[in-house]
Amino acid sequence: MKFRKLVNIVLVVLALGIAIIIARDFVMNRAGKVIENPYAFDVSEYAKVSADEILYEEEKVLQLRVAEPKGIAFHQGTLFVIADSSLLQMNLQGQLLKETKLEASPTAIAVDDLVWLGMKNQVVCLNFDGQEVERWENYGDRSVITSLAVSPDFVFVADAGNRLVYQCKKNGELVRQIGEKDEQKAVPGFVVPSPYFDIALSEEGYLWAVNPGRHSLENFNAEGALRTSWTSSSVKTEGFSGCCNPAHMTIMRENAFVTSEKGIVRVKIYDQHGKYQGVVAAPNQFEEVAHAPDVCVDENGRVILLDFDRKQVRIFKPKERGNS
Amino acid sequence: MNAKKEHKPVDRRKFIQNGMRLTLGASLVGVTGLASLKLSANDYVWQLDPFKCVYCGRCADYCVLTPSAVKCVHAYDLCGYCDLCGGYLKPDANALSTAAENQLCPTAAIKRKFVEDPYFEYEIEEDLCIGCAKCVEGCSSFGNGSLHLQVRHDLCVNCNECSIARVCPADAFERVPVSSPYKIKGDFQAENNNPDPA
Repeated sequence: MKFRKLVNIVLVVLALGIAIIIARDFVMNRAGKVIENPYAFDVSEYAKVSADEILYEEEKVLQLRVAEPKGIAFHQGTLFVIADSSLLQMNLQGQLLKETKLEASPTAIAVDDLVWLGMKNQVVCLNFDGQEVERWENYGDRSVITSLAVSPDFVFVADAGNRLVYQCKKNGELVRQIGEKDEQKAVPGFVVPSPYFDIALSEEGYLWAVNPGRHSLENFNAEGALRTSWTSSSVKTEGFSGCCNPAHMTIMRENAFVTSEKGIVRVKIYDQHGKYQGVVAAPNQFEEVAHAPDVCVDENGRVILLDFDRKQVRIFKPKERGNS
Repeated sequence: MNAKKEHKPVDRRKFIQNGMRLTLGASLVGVTGLASLKLSANDYVWQLDPFKCVYCGRCADYCVLTPSAVKCVHAYDLCGYCDLCGGYLKPDANALSTAAENQLCPTAAIKRKFVEDPYFEYEIEEDLCIGCAKCVEGCSSFGNGSLHLQVRHDLCVNCNECSIARVCPADAFERVPVSSPYKIKGDFQAENNNPDPA
């Protein structure tokens, strides 16, 4: 009798043990349960930005009703946004002034008295009424136009596919190719691992091009020769990290650079010599998995971001002194 | 008219014979059904969708095999061949070199080969790869996402219920036809018409 009781107790204990193990496995290992990843690729430490470094604050958000924003430019009080297969013109209050339907999805935009659009491998020019003024010959299947910059005399076309910048007259005539690897002229050549290859013009009209594979910004003279460059390679806030950063760039007053990065998404300011100044938008101001926003600036020094994930135009103004 | 059927008495021998026939028939149908079920089950294998993968690390730890049958594969046509490879180098690497302290992979399963300045080729050494996805996350965050995970069918034992699929937080595991067992990123598969990424 005693033996049977003992066996029963052992069986009950065993059954309880098994039940606990099954329940624990069910709770701990069920799909969707967040558990610690022993192999985590953790860059959260580098995504932290000290409050002192943040020089801008968000002033306004304009929500776009589009599926896929592609690029942004600002000219004389008007925002030009390319999205889906459309060109949107809107004011800084978010009011849509004009929408122009395009035959394909544009990949780059620059604006002077006309709107210059990169259409994957071709440049198309429209007037502000949306009528086509120019359509250049395409640059071939390999070409991927990622950025345009326009001066009074020339249009500069950044081609990520061919890793070149084309300097063209406004009728499309090619003046020269810039950035081809040339050891005799000490041109290192552009390293463009992915379709992030941005260009901008300085106040004096000199071309600055991102060399994303080298974390560099390179400056070219009127003859297309390398004039100067600066590099900032670091995973820390003051540098660029990953394979292709900065993903976007623009030049503001006093030839300061506004850069936008992917990976650890952040927007920063560098002075004309490439010295780190501070942060416009920190990683925690974007979605957890986000794309590098396109950037442009207005005449008042405000930084305008095109947030591809939230589908928003986000306007940042400089913080007032003493306003932390 | 009398519609009532005349009931013939069934003798015991006939009854047993009928019973045997019925049992045999049922058994044969059952066996055939089971066999066909097994055949159709074998027509599908487990694979993970690299576009759903969230690099949680469970592929390394939950496979019934050690090391896991999930390995990193490289879509060379997507790769930027970067010197600054986010999948190869630690974010805070002190040099762009092959030194062990700079490598992101916990088992040094990625080989870096110089092509020409500044391009490098990255090759996965599968015997060393444990499928932890650390490089996949680095490549996807900072690069083109050419490194991605796949269940290797020369290793996978095709469990009825994949123990990784059971815990995958992204629901990235699915049954795919054995005729197209891989979900390779890029045009690698289409161009080569070769389902095996090796």
